[in-house]
Amino acid sequence: MNAVYAIATTTVGEAIRRRVLLVILMIGVLLLSIVPSLSVLSARSETSTMISTMFFVLRFTSALIAIILTVYMIPNEIERRTIYTILCKPVQRWQFLVGKFFGAVLALAMMIGLMSVVMIALFYVFRHPGMDKLFELGRQSLLYFVEMSLLASVAIFFSTFTTPLVNFFISIGLWLVGTVLNPLYDTISANNQNPVMQKVAQFVTTLLPNFANYDTKNPIINPGTVIRNETVYYLQITGYGILYMTILLIAGILIFDRREV
Amino acid sequence: MAAAIETRNLTKTYRSRLHGKVNVVDDLNLEVEEGEIFGFLGPNGAGKTTTIKMLLGIIYPTSGEGYVLGREIGDMDVHKVISYLPERPYYYEHMTGMEILRFYGSLFHIRDDAKFEALLEKVNLAGDKSKTISQYSKGMQQRIGLAQSLINDPKLLFLDEPTGGLDPIAHTEIRDLILQFRDEGRTVFISSHELSEVERICDRVAIIDKGKIKSQGRLEDLLKGGRVEVIADGLTREFADTVKIPEAITSFHGDRLIVDMSEEHDLNALLDSVRSSKGSIVSVVPRRRRLEDLFIETVSKKEPAK
Amino acid sequence: MKRNQKLIAAMLVLGIAQGILHAGFIFPRWRKDYSPGHGNVISQLAPDQIFLSLFGFREFLAGILWVRADGFFDDGNYDAVLPIIRLCTILDPKQIDIYATGMWHIGYNFTDEEQRSDRRYIPSALALGKEGALQNPNTYEMFFETGWMWYHKVQDDFPKAVKWFEEAHKRDDIQPARRNLLIWAYQRNGQIDKSLELLYKLSDEAEDRWQQSREFQNHQNRDTIVGNLDTALVRMGQRGWFAQNTEKGKAENWYATGNYDTKPPFDVGFSVKASVVEPKVLRFEGTWNVLPVGTRIRIILRDKDFPHAVPGGMQWDLEDSINLDPPRDTTFMQDELFVRNRRFNKKVDMSRDPTMYPFTKKDYVLEFYYSARVAPPHIQDKFGWNGEGMTDANFLNTSVRPGERVVFATLEISRDQILRMGDWADGVKMPVVKTANYREIGKGNQVTDDVLIDVPALRGGGK
Repeated sequence: MNAVYAIATTTVGEAIRRRVLLVILMIGVLLLSIVPSLSVLSARSETSTMISTMFFVLRFTSALIAIILTVYMIPNEIERRTIYTILCKPVQRWQFLVGKFFGAVLALAMMIGLMSVVMIALFYVFRHPGMDKLFELGRQSLLYFVEMSLLASVAIFFSTFTTPLVNFFISIGLWLVGTVLNPLYDTISANNQNPVMQKVAQFVTTLLPNFANYDTKNPIINPGTVIRNETVYYLQITGYGILYMTILLIAGILIFDRREV
Repeated sequence: MAAAIETRNLTKTYRSRLHGKVNVVDDLNLEVEEGEIFGFLGPNGAGKTTTIKMLLGIIYPTSGEGYVLGREIGDMDVHKVISYLPERPYYYEHMTGMEILRFYGSLFHIRDDAKFEALLEKVNLAGDKSKTISQYSKGMQQRIGLAQSLINDPKLLFLDEPTGGLDPIAHTEIRDLILQFRDEGRTVFISSHELSEVERICDRVAIIDKGKIKSQGRLEDLLKGGRVEVIADGLTREFADTVKIPEAITSFHGDRLIVDMSEEHDLNALLDSVRSSKGSIVSVVPRRRRLEDLFIETVSKKEPAK
Repeated sequence: MKRNQKLIAAMLVLGIAQGILHAGFIFPRWRKDYSPGHGNVISQLAPDQIFLSLFGFREFLAGILWVRADGFFDDGNYDAVLPIIRLCTILDPKQIDIYATGMWHIGYNFTDEEQRSDRRYIPSALALGKEGALQNPNTYEMFFETGWMWYHKVQDDFPKAVKWFEEAHKRDDIQPARRNLLIWAYQRNGQIDKSLELLYKLSDEAEDRWQQSREFQNHQNRDTIVGNLDTALVRMGQRGWFAQNTEKGKAENWYATGNYDTKPPFDVGFSVKASVVEPKVLRFEGTWNVLPVGTRIRIILRDKDFPHAVPGGMQWDLEDSINLDPPRDTTFMQDELFVRNRRFNKKVDMSRDPTMYPFTKKDYVLEFYYSARVAPPHIQDKFGWNGEGMTDANFLNTSVRPGERVVFATLEISRDQILRMGDWADGVKMPVVKTANYREIGKGNQVTDDVLIDVPALRGGGK
């Protein structure tokens, strides 16, 4: 575990200094700070627009960071030959991969954390909500963090056998698809009479990583929605994320073990 | 003495779309003894790095077998007692020299700042331990690389082009360090194409080209067979024409004869015949063979047509 | 087992576990609590809109579009507004304003030159309201708005208005003043007892609020309710409701023996003549023997085979989908004939709005419909809630609206007549259709004694 920890912390140190990530992070923070002035555009629903837009910025920026952070992680190590100095030490490949993944997750936690703090602070300054609302915002940020960790595991899985550019498009594609899987299946199961089509939709929805689960902002935007056992749902989707991340990591390890670097 | 590295018919084949199957390393048989500095020479793309990676278990041989310190290659236990310094590696730039050592040390479960300090001292970086790698010069980066490769007190070190891209002063520093490793009883496996360096420090060398070993052995043995240059004045062209020595280069101008010949031939016979023709010997200069000559001879030898 | 086999086995087990967790637990919860659009979001969007819509930018996009739509409202360009409304509601199904305003525009603002709304759009407006309520089930607003559409715009099929208002009542956030509307919806639906029950309940609540917080608004609200309750009780008495509906009243035969405003039924003496004065311009003249102002007789001119037509209206809520482009080849004109001095005379001009009144069919029907349910209170005082105090020698009908006595007459008219084509093309012969009892009177609206139908003095409470 020592090796995993050492690799993870080193990865964080490197990630939070990557210029391109910092630029994206800065743009994210900048966008967040102009949201309050944009939301006056929609009369009477400023609060919901503000929350919605802020979450959009947070989610999109985080996804971009998660992907760019992870797709280069292993190819860069190979290109700069750092990986050889590590793999020739008593470090198993799985330790290297898992260490890199945890590093990415930790770095994501820091960056999403920063943006969330900015978001919540801005929201507090402009709309003076109650503590429970701020708590809900924080909780949604946390769920986005789980989502982005899952996305990072997708990217790291593909980085074991694809080039960064290909991986970038695969990961972003899977993420976009993953954010519409639930609504898509919902629509098909509600409107499509074809049982084959329904089964296919169900299969695909069950198989692919499902990012839509983590978008729980509807009740935040539309207060009054009564949800029973919310916490159970949040635990379920977190558990789902961890299960899925484990699967992707195992698959990644299996491939990376045979990979010639 | 036991073999530190031994390979038997080690082969690595890559499939390339353009050329079909390519044997990057072809039937490689190497033997490196413990405690020596072994030079693994070859032009760029000869298969040096591929061989090292196979020996380290980073890539897998297509066929053949290899042993490092008596264990089959890929054995994780071996990794505890060997180390590798890749060609021009990149270290995490945001870390200081000390942090780099702490990081690599932790991979061995070593947390011993005193040891790290000593290593930094050894590679002459004690004064720069708090600078980040991004502030290090190339030579300093190479030295921190050597320091990290010594963390586990390795019995066997693989150094890939250790002096590549460095200035002459840095060369000397690195060379001294490597010699010091041998004195400490470590085996050093150097892959390089910088021959003058290797010539100065290696005990034995192997020359590899296009994946195959072309020549292997003690440096003294390989470099045997130098040449001698004889210059004599006061001679006639008739005399010059009588000098027939195989593989010798003769030139005659005015009354001066210059003969460049292998030292295996009878030098005294030539000197006697010059004197008996009333000629005077100006100089007899023996010229030792250099590694470069050997290398060029070996590598430029055409493979016999199949 | 080798390590790799173990890992693959673990992967499979975890894969099945995540599948079960997602399909069995997470997705049903997501669909119930977190879905942005209850299964109809994607089906109505263009592919390029899908991602944006499901992405989290929806509310903002909808907000911007809504602002843009406002500009079109100001210009009266309602055709341009409709698609934006639809897009906005799809993008952000939680913006109640857009549903409410959109529904109102569709229901009220598609009008002809004379500000008659295009009734073909009302099913879409109601469907939009229904969807809005479905998407926002936790607030009263869309239930109230949809109820209002039934109550005020459709003015028919009152069980629907009652149903929606009752749903609105179940939501805690309904404003006190808006709760009162259910009272009148009950009355229009003939549920006078429920109306009274609610009045008592609301007056108790208003009293409580006033006791709890002595604010002017609470005071005012309580007074209104108490006033309404008083009036309702008086009317129920005078209109013979207690006599006819209480055990005691029935047992003691109060209605037959007592003196009630609704007794005896009053003959309204309806007659009508429709003349096509110009192509697509019809003049309706006729009689209605009620002197006090406030009578509005519904008139419908529609395709004889208009889909889902019912006597005096149509099935307004037959569709669930929001069709922003109703069939352009059907004609359904609905208007009201206002009675003054016991007569009505109205010119209905449909000539300038060919998209609204295309007249593509051959045969048409004119319907005249009057229900006491929507009459103003002073007329209802005589006619009663269900028309028990009203009759007509020729056109009283108790079957088109079960439980009610309404006046209902139909006339047939052809396309040729309306457009003055074919036999009527010469421009001289004026097409006229009329009820058999229609009698010509003097010029204009002059009322002369000799043609007066026997009129009771309503204002005096009966002869």
